[in-house]
Amino acid sequence: MKRLLFPFTAVLGQEKIKNALIWNVINPKIGGVLISGEKGTAKSTLVRGLSDVCGKNIVELPLNITEDRLLGAINFENAIKTGKKELEPGILAKAHNNILYVDEINLLSDNIVKALVDVASEGICTVERESISQKYPSDFILIGSMNPEEGGLRPQLIDRFGLFVEVVSENNAEIRAEIIEKRLEFEQDPTAYIDKYNNEQEFLKKKITKAQKRLNEIEVSKEAILLASQLSKDAFCQGHRAEIIIIETAKAIAAEKGLYKVEHDHVIEASKYALPHRMRQIPPQLQNNQDNDNNEEEHDNSSKENNETMQDNKEQNTEIENSPNEHKTNENNETEKNKEENSFDNSENKSPATSESQYSDNKNEKLDSAGDIFTVSKWLDFKSHDRVNKGSGRRSLVKTNSSMGRYVASRPFAKEISSADLAFDATLRAAAPFQNSRNKNGMAISIQKSDIRVKQREKRVGNYILFVVDASGSMGAGKRMKAVKGAVLSLLSDAYQKRDKVGLVMFKHETAEIVLDMTRSVDLAQKKLEELPTGGKTPLCFGIETAHTAVKTALYKDKEILPVIVLISDGRATYGKSKKAFDDALKSAEAVANDKIHSVVIDAEQDFIKLGLAKKLAQTMNAQYIKLEELKAETLITAVNMSIN
Amino acid sequence: MENKKYYPFTAIVGQNNMKTALILNIINPSLGGVLIRGEKGTAKSTAVRSLAELMPKLQKVKGCPFGCDPNGKVLCEECEKKKKEGNLTDIVTSPMKVVDLPVSATEDRVVGTLDIEYAIKHGEKKFECGILAEANRNILYVDEVNLLDDHVVDVLLDSAAMGVNTIEREGISYSHPAVFTLVGTMNPEEGDLRPQLLDRFGLVVDVTSENDREMRAEVVKRRLDFEKNPEEFSKLYQQEQEKLMEKISQSIELLPKVTYDKDILLLAVKLSIALDVDGHRADIGMIKTACTLAAFDGRTSVTKKDLKEAAIFVLPHRLRRRPFESGVLDAFEIEKILDSEY
Repeated sequence: MKRLLFPFTAVLGQEKIKNALIWNVINPKIGGVLISGEKGTAKSTLVRGLSDVCGKNIVELPLNITEDRLLGAINFENAIKTGKKELEPGILAKAHNNILYVDEINLLSDNIVKALVDVASEGICTVERESISQKYPSDFILIGSMNPEEGGLRPQLIDRFGLFVEVVSENNAEIRAEIIEKRLEFEQDPTAYIDKYNNEQEFLKKKITKAQKRLNEIEVSKEAILLASQLSKDAFCQGHRAEIIIIETAKAIAAEKGLYKVEHDHVIEASKYALPHRMRQIPPQLQNNQDNDNNEEEHDNSSKENNETMQDNKEQNTEIENSPNEHKTNENNETEKNKEENSFDNSENKSPATSESQYSDNKNEKLDSAGDIFTVSKWLDFKSHDRVNKGSGRRSLVKTNSSMGRYVASRPFAKEISSADLAFDATLRAAAPFQNSRNKNGMAISIQKSDIRVKQREKRVGNYILFVVDASGSMGAGKRMKAVKGAVLSLLSDAYQKRDKVGLVMFKHETAEIVLDMTRSVDLAQKKLEELPTGGKTPLCFGIETAHTAVKTALYKDKEILPVIVLISDGRATYGKSKKAFDDALKSAEAVANDKIHSVVIDAEQDFIKLGLAKKLAQTMNAQYIKLEELKAETLITAVNMSIN
Repeated sequence: MENKKYYPFTAIVGQNNMKTALILNIINPSLGGVLIRGEKGTAKSTAVRSLAELMPKLQKVKGCPFGCDPNGKVLCEECEKKKKEGNLTDIVTSPMKVVDLPVSATEDRVVGTLDIEYAIKHGEKKFECGILAEANRNILYVDEVNLLDDHVVDVLLDSAAMGVNTIEREGISYSHPAVFTLVGTMNPEEGDLRPQLLDRFGLVVDVTSENDREMRAEVVKRRLDFEKNPEEFSKLYQQEQEKLMEKISQSIELLPKVTYDKDILLLAVKLSIALDVDGHRADIGMIKTACTLAAFDGRTSVTKKDLKEAAIFVLPHRLRRRPFESGVLDAFEIEKILDSEY
C-alpha cells in the first residue's frame, strides 16, 4: 500500500535521531538504533521517512505478527496443489539488506523477540518447522522505537541495538510553533508538501551515498581505538561490543563529514550514542562533556535555522542529562547489593549476546534500580516466565492456556480436539504436504488429527497487591500513619504505571475489613487510604486472615494473577482469638507462608525500645522485611518485586 | 436485525461539552477522536450511538471492503490498481458509520485473519477483513475502552497512529488503510487507560450527571417518552436534527477556509510548555480543534476563545502523568496561563 510520508528533511530538530539513523544507513555495521522517548516526538515519522533518503526499504514489523510470518513457513497453496514443500519466507527475508522497523518494540511478544534476537545476531534466518528446514540470509538494520511509560525492553534485545537515543519534545516556543505549522501544511496537501522538499531530500540522499562510498577508506588510528576502549572501560561495559560499535559509528561520522580519518571528537560523539544503554556508571569525562553540550544546546535552539543542514549538528540533548537526578542518589546505595545478585544467574535460553550483557535475565526491578543511573529502569524489564500460567507484573508477558491473549505461535495438540484453540493457518500448513496422498472426499483439503495445531498465546498478567494496613491506635501516634500512607502511595503510583490491581484491608478495634476490593483503579485506593482513620486495639491476626482469604478468593477467580500481601504494622497485636494475640498473629502468618503467598512486611515500629515483633512475623510469614524508616519508594517497590520472583 | 431507533442526539439534555466534542470530530475526522470519561448513566453511549443519524454522506468505491474514497490520495491495493487502469468509476454514497469494537473482541477479529472457509474450499489463502477494515473512514467506538485487553490495545495503537493496518499473521501478509476516528467511553472508577492509548485520543471530555433538579427531571421525562414511543419522540426532534446536520455540513465546507494568526500558534505553544505536555501531538491537536470550533461557529478565523475551548478538550489527558490528581484541567488555569506574560 502506498503511503504519503512526512519528508525526513522536513522534520524540525530531533538531530539525535536523525544522526543515529543516517549513520546507520552509512554504516550498517553499527547495528541499528533504539529510540526511546515520549509520545508525539516524531520518532516514527523520522524512521518511516528514512526510506526516501537512503534507498533502502523500511520493513515494518507489526505487533500482531505471528511466528510463521516472521520467519517463514510452508507455502500451503503450492503444497496442496503440487505436494511440493516450499518455503514462503517471512518478513525477515524482506528485511534482508533493508531496514527492519519495530514501533512500540517494548510491546512485542516474547516469542517474537526471541526469534528476532537470534536472527539479528546471526544475520541468517533458520526455519525449522512443518518439515521444512531451510536457511536464508537476513541481514538488516534493526530500528526500534518505544515509549518507556509502557514498560521496558528485555536486556538481550537492548543489547542488540548499536546505538541508543532518548528524545524529548522541543521546548523552544518558536520551533514548536513551526512544528505545528509544518504538520498542518503537510496534512492539508501531502503531495505538494512532499514535492516542496524534493531538493533537500535529494541533497541528503547524495550526501549519504557519498559517505557510504567513502566509508571503506576511512582510516582509524590506534589512538582512536584506544580512546574507544578507554571510554567503554570507564563505562563498565563488558565485552568488546561497545568499542567496536563506537569505532564503526565514528567511521560513519567521519564519512558523513567528508573526512578520511576518524578524529578524537568523532569517537567522543559516537560514544554518546553507543554507550548509554550499555554503561553502568557515569564516566566523569562524559559527564563534563554533557554539561558543555547543554550550553551549546541553548545557543542552538535560539537559532532556528539549524534544522536545514545535516552538517555541524550539535547535540540536542543526551541520555545522561535526562536521567532524573533524584534517582542517582537513591539508587547508589542499592547498586552494591544488586551487583551481588547479578553473580548468580540462572536464566535459561540465553543467546551468546546475552551472556555479554551484565544484566541478569531472571532478576528484575532490583537490577532496574541499579541501572537507574541511566534511567535503565525504563528500558529494562521484568523477566517473563516460560512456565505456563504464571506471571509477574503487567510488564511481563506470559504464555497462557486460556483462549485470550495474543496469538504468537502454534504447537501440535495431543489431547482431545473439542476444547482446542485451533490454529487454523498452522493446521493447514501441517496438512498441506500430504494432500496428494489423501482422500479428500470432494473437499479442497483433507485434515487429519495429526495435522491439528493449536494456538499458543501470550498475555500480560498483572500483580494483585493487597495492602494490609494496621489502623490501630498505636499507629496513629506521631507521624507514623502519615509515613505509611506516603509509602503506600508511592507503591500505588508504581502499580498505576504497571496497571497492577490493588486492594486494601484495614484492621483496628476488634475486626479487619476489606476497605477496597481488588481494583485497577489506583485513584480509588488512594482515596480510601486518605480517609483511613486510626484508633483502638490491634487485631493483627484478623488482619492477616482477612487478607489471606481475600487473596485466596482472588486466585480462585483468576488463576493467572500473582498476589502479594503488603502488611504494614508494628507487630504489637493487642487483640486476637485468644489472650496471646501475637501468637494468634503468628499462626495466621504461618498459614500465609504455607500457601506460598508472597508477602512483604513493613515494620512501623518506632518506639525507643524495639521489640522486633514485626520482624518475627515476617520470618514466620516468609515475607520480605523492611523498616518503615528505611522505606523509600524505590526500596518498597524493589521489595515487592523481589517477593514476586 | 432491523435498524434500531436511536435516541435523537439533539434530545440529550445538557452535556454540551460532550456533544461539541463529538460533532467536532464529525466535522474534522483528523482531530483524532474523543474519549468520554464519566460515571454510569451519563448518556455517554447514547450520545455516541445517536451520532449515526447526523453523519455526513461519503463517496465510496463500490464493493471496496474498506470504503475507499475515490478521490482520496491513499487507497487500498485493489482500488489503487483500478485507479491506474482508469476503472475507478463505480461509486456509491453512504453515510459514515459508528463501528463497534466490543471489549470481548479477539485480536484476529480486530485486525483481520485468514479466511478459513475459503482456504478449505479452494486451498488458497484469502484475507478476511476485521473490524479495523470496516472502521476505515468511520467512527470506531469502544465502550468501556479501559477494559480492553492489552494485546488488542497494542494492535489498535499500531493502526491508529499510521492510519494503516498491517497484518503479518496466520500466513497472511497484507496492508490496508484504516483511518478511523476513535471514540471511547469509560468509567474511570473501573480502572485507568494506558498512557499510549490515552494519547491517541485527540479530545477528552469529562461528564458528570446533571445536578440541577429541573434538568434531572427533564432527562428522566425525555427518556421515558422515548421508550414509550421512539418513533413519535424522534419526530419531535426531527427539525432540530436536520438543523444540526445542516450546520455540520456547512462547517465541513467552511473548515478548509479557516485561518489563524501566528499569535494563536504561539499561545498554543505557550500553553503546552507551561503545562509541560508530552510531545507535539497536543500542540497540533489544539490548533486543529480551534480551527474546527471556529468553523462550527460559522467563522473563518480562529479567536483566543476558540483556542481556550480547544485547550480544555485537548490538554487534560496529556498533562504529564501525576497519578493522584484528577487529570481534569479547568478553564481557569488555562486562562491564567493565556493571560500571563511570557
